[in-house]
Amino acid sequence: MSEQTTVAGSQVGGEVVPATPAGGSGAAETRADPKPRNNRAWWLVLPVVVSVAFTAVIPLMTVVNFSVQDVFSPSDRIFVGLEWFRSVTRDPEVRAAFVRTLLFSAQVLLLEIPLGVALAVVMPRRGVWMSVALVLVALPLLIPWNVVGTIWQIFARGDIGLGGWTINNVLGINFNYTLDSTDAWITVLVMDVWHWTPLVALLAYAGLRSIPGPYFQAAQIDGASAWATFRHIQLPRLRGVLTIAILLRFMDSFMIYTEPFVVTGGGPGNATSFLSILLSKIAVGQFDLGPAGAFSLLYFLFVQILCYVFFTVLTRSGR
Amino acid sequence: MAFPRSGQRLPWARTVFWLYVATLMLPLLWMFGMSIRPNEDILGSFSLIPQRVTFDNYVTFFTDAAWYSSYLNSIIYTSLNAVMSLVVALPAAYAFSRFRFAGDKHLFFWLLTNRMAPPAVFLLPFFQIYQSVGLFDTHLGVAIAHMLFNVPLAVWILEGFMSGIPREIDETAAIDGYSLPRFFIKIFLPMIRSAIGVTAFFCFMFSWVELLIARTITSVNAKPIAATMTRTVSAAGVDWGLLAAAGVLTIVPGAIVIWFVRNYIAKGFSLGRV
Amino acid sequence: MPDWMVWTVPTALVFAGLALLLVVMAVWARLSPPVARRGFLRIETDRGDRLYIGLISAAVVLAGWIAVSDLSMWLALGCALLVAVVIGIWG
Repeated sequence: MSEQTTVAGSQVGGEVVPATPAGGSGAAETRADPKPRNNRAWWLVLPVVVSVAFTAVIPLMTVVNFSVQDVFSPSDRIFVGLEWFRSVTRDPEVRAAFVRTLLFSAQVLLLEIPLGVALAVVMPRRGVWMSVALVLVALPLLIPWNVVGTIWQIFARGDIGLGGWTINNVLGINFNYTLDSTDAWITVLVMDVWHWTPLVALLAYAGLRSIPGPYFQAAQIDGASAWATFRHIQLPRLRGVLTIAILLRFMDSFMIYTEPFVVTGGGPGNATSFLSILLSKIAVGQFDLGPAGAFSLLYFLFVQILCYVFFTVLTRSGR
Repeated sequence: MAFPRSGQRLPWARTVFWLYVATLMLPLLWMFGMSIRPNEDILGSFSLIPQRVTFDNYVTFFTDAAWYSSYLNSIIYTSLNAVMSLVVALPAAYAFSRFRFAGDKHLFFWLLTNRMAPPAVFLLPFFQIYQSVGLFDTHLGVAIAHMLFNVPLAVWILEGFMSGIPREIDETAAIDGYSLPRFFIKIFLPMIRSAIGVTAFFCFMFSWVELLIARTITSVNAKPIAATMTRTVSAAGVDWGLLAAAGVLTIVPGAIVIWFVRNYIAKGFSLGRV
Repeated sequence: MPDWMVWTVPTALVFAGLALLLVVMAVWARLSPPVARRGFLRIETDRGDRLYIGLISAAVVLAGWIAVSDLSMWLALGCALLVAVVIGIWG
């Protein structure tokens, strides 16, 4: 089996390159000597900075400008100082939506990360079934988000959708996501799990496949149980991929908009009106750019803080 | 290579896995079922198996320019975005994986923060920028706009792969007289082809499914398929059959892309110094 | 500067200040490269990290202040700067 995972000592452009002195798998990743300091490396990152700054910095500045003014048009605007920040942070509707979104993100992470890792562990590892499994599992990721919403809007309907119909008529539970807040919440949550667990599963799968075989042989010789093997050999080596998975899932679930907007429109009542849906209502529906700008900045600040904490904890722990 | 065959150690695990996959497929199969029924049947009554099968919805899709041209638009800007994201992200990821330089860690995190801006308000300045530089309603414009969230991800994934490649290879090549660009193209790129495949897949995926930005900075010529799908509501109500047919077709390009990169994913990557 | 960016003097000053801060940090890094160390935050930080954490913390102080208190925002600004300085020096 040629399941070469690290590239040390592998074929390079037709000629064999000597392996690292330490040899073996994964040695390259733990090399002790630090990377050389070279500020000319900035030239290599310049294209990225320029291309991202073009779409990132100017809008950010504009939104900051919105947030301190009452804008009717570029020529007709009044400076209001921090008034919008005051009204947004004290708006009970915003506070409720904030708690709701935080709860949703927490549930998403708690469900999707373990489920995704579990799927990755039991996914076939070779042959045609591996290909079939990978493609099928990845399918939900490749559907435009509003289409995901449309699919679930129909699928969860009690009268003409398979999911809703089964719950109502086979399980005998009264389920209607357009009237009942709990049902609406569950529909959106299940939809998100359906939609995004595959991302965690794909990343975790790739992470598991990168673990060199000798690790498992050692574990087998020691007679480790499946759980012990997972806990002490597989899980620690998933840190890199799980960092990405957790950050992406947190950011995207905390800013979820399109899917619940299509399915429930934020309702019934306010049951699924997440921060982004409320924000859109203010920005697009009422065209109140000032409050919406202040809202966005606070939103952005919060996401950034949590991501920084996740990022720091996940990449620096154990060092 | 001795991967434990989970099937042997956990005999029920495979069964559970395929059951999960089957459940995963149900909403998709339901959508496919809708796409081959006439509208009256979809809304009429619940039935597991379509009573009347019709391919009219697909015929409409491929004969109506509004539908198939927006489908092509999406494919064009998504591919363009994947290529452009890779071209700028490759050198940057190399720099991050090989050198320390002033502000490197902060730059890395700053790139990520660009994924974190809630779109609603940012859409207005996006519209204004692309309008003012003449990229409004062009494929290039959408491709550049989507670089905002794809480039950081691409840099991150590529950096993870590149850090797994020992620096001795660079040093050996330098001793052999390779210049950095020549080394990068002749030796380094072939070594990380799986990284390029995986990154291209993620760029394709996130660009393909994005709707808000793409819809804001286009009107006709580069209108994405997802935006066309939001406008199926007519006086007669929503055309669910056509919507479902379009939905089924939006899965196809992504499925093709994942088919091409499946072996790269299966080969494994850990994305980090474990 | 296009007029749809609706600039105001205070926001322009804030962004100019941030840009200046970046330039200062870059020059400082040139003169003496930053050294990572551990402070009361208990994670390894160099001065760039502490600047970032400090600025974010200052923003949190301002946001929290405006959300719950009717006292002057100048006082909040003072507290925020104090927090940023404390983190910058001992963090």
